[in-house]
Amino acid sequence: MIMRPGQQQLLLPLNPGFMWASLFVAMLLNMLPLGRIAWMPDLLALVIVFWGVHQPARVSIGIAFMFGLAMDVQQSALLGQHALSYTTLGFMATMIHRRLLWYPLFSQALQVLPLFALSHLIELGLRLIGGGVFPGWSVLLAPLIETALWPFATILLLAPQRRAPEPDANRPL
Amino acid sequence: MPLGTLDRTAPPLFNQGPSALSKLILFSALAIFLMVADARFHLVQPIRSVVGTVLYPVQWLALKPVQMVLGGSKYFDDLQTAQRREEEARKALASQAERASQADAMAQDNARLRALLELRQTTLTPGRAAEVLYDAADPYSRKIIIDQGQTQGIVPGSPVIDADGVLGQVTLVNAFTSEVTLVIDRDLSIPVQNTRTGARSVAFGDATAHGAGMELRFMGANADLREGDLLATSGVDGVYPAGVPVARIDRIERRADSAFARIYCMPLATVSGARYVLVLAPVGQQALRPAPLSGDPLAVSKKKEKDKEKSDKAKGKGKGKAEKPTDKPSDKPADKAPEAAAPKPATQAAPQKPGAQQQSAPKPGAAAANKPEGRSP
Repeated sequence: MIMRPGQQQLLLPLNPGFMWASLFVAMLLNMLPLGRIAWMPDLLALVIVFWGVHQPARVSIGIAFMFGLAMDVQQSALLGQHALSYTTLGFMATMIHRRLLWYPLFSQALQVLPLFALSHLIELGLRLIGGGVFPGWSVLLAPLIETALWPFATILLLAPQRRAPEPDANRPL
Repeated sequence: MPLGTLDRTAPPLFNQGPSALSKLILFSALAIFLMVADARFHLVQPIRSVVGTVLYPVQWLALKPVQMVLGGSKYFDDLQTAQRREEEARKALASQAERASQADAMAQDNARLRALLELRQTTLTPGRAAEVLYDAADPYSRKIIIDQGQTQGIVPGSPVIDADGVLGQVTLVNAFTSEVTLVIDRDLSIPVQNTRTGARSVAFGDATAHGAGMELRFMGANADLREGDLLATSGVDGVYPAGVPVARIDRIERRADSAFARIYCMPLATVSGARYVLVLAPVGQQALRPAPLSGDPLAVSKKKEKDKEKSDKAKGKGKGKAEKPTDKPSDKPADKAPEAAAPKPATQAAPQKPGAQQQSAPKPGAAAANKPEGRSP
């Protein structure tokens, strides 16, 4: 591989503990009892898609399903609603993972927008079929906010892998 | 250009597991099965409680920062706000003290009148105070989570009230928390009675109508209803105790093309932002008190009581037959008083009886009490 300085940086191997911790923290942030806000971005969905794209061998669809069940119980929503939406997200992330990383960050964000939109559409459709109350048009904002958070998630979640391979006095981290 | 990595572990070449599509199909089918089982057959309660118990530490952890921020901001309330609140509380206390002193006398009167009319005694409902932890995050329903659960003896179906009226009903009980569906949720309906006319109807939750409200359905366009009428629980459902305020009629739309009027109500309880609530035991699950009238073998629990009552009855009947009918009223309270007092300890030990007779019990009393008032104007 031809390396050009400043263009390409080799990443350190992923620490699986960090991946699990990030998923757990995202679930914790999702579970913050902030009340009934329709446009609240689903951070767990964002992190699941991120690791589904970057580590498709580690984050499988089954894990996404399990986190979905946990969210259903916590939100006292229809059991299986988040599970189905996260399963779909995991599948779509696996589908696009070979293509997505060839693009710069902001193009990546545009390409994950349909994923988030689809997942929220699935939840909305399921609940309206199941006799739920329409939560208001602000629910459309949620996928947009998640898309806007994609570059930040990339910077934050890849930061541990971007450390120097051999730390020295000048590069302690 | 995809990101290169220093990871030197070889990816598995052949052991890839099932394909992504087959996993998607499997887990989607599982999710859909769960949803159908939840929505149609209500079979997933065990899964919910198991996952809920496992998640409880995580939820507790997520609750702490929010509670800290909310609790911390209270320290910075100014003195005037605190003083104003105390003044309001004192005023409310003073106005309630007068009513409380009247209530004792009225309760005695009521017991005596009920004995006269041979009505079933009203039951006192034990309650348990609970704190509201948070609103459930699901934007498609209206639910709150309270901090009392199975370990504190909360049962599903318990009515929940706050200082102003009925707030909702416990729909799911976890080990340490419970989920309360609010009266404005679309799935909740409460049998109510108009306190002005005594007409009974059912109020349905209607969360989309003007923020949060309720609706009185299937009331004829010519029904005697006015804006501002107070709706209280009728008690015919065997769940809610009778006479707890629920809502006030906000707006009535009578349309020429429809046989029914559209009646919008505003719930009296603070459905958004309630802090402390009272969880009552469902009326149908409380021990039955025997009716003063015998002839109902289910109502009497112990043989002693039965015998005593029978002998009392026999005496009463004999007296009634022998003496003039004008003497009856003066005779009865003396007869009934020991009966009404005696069964109390017995019934608390008695097993629960089906709520059918109890459900119908308050009906005639309420109707009889209310009808003359309704007709007079």
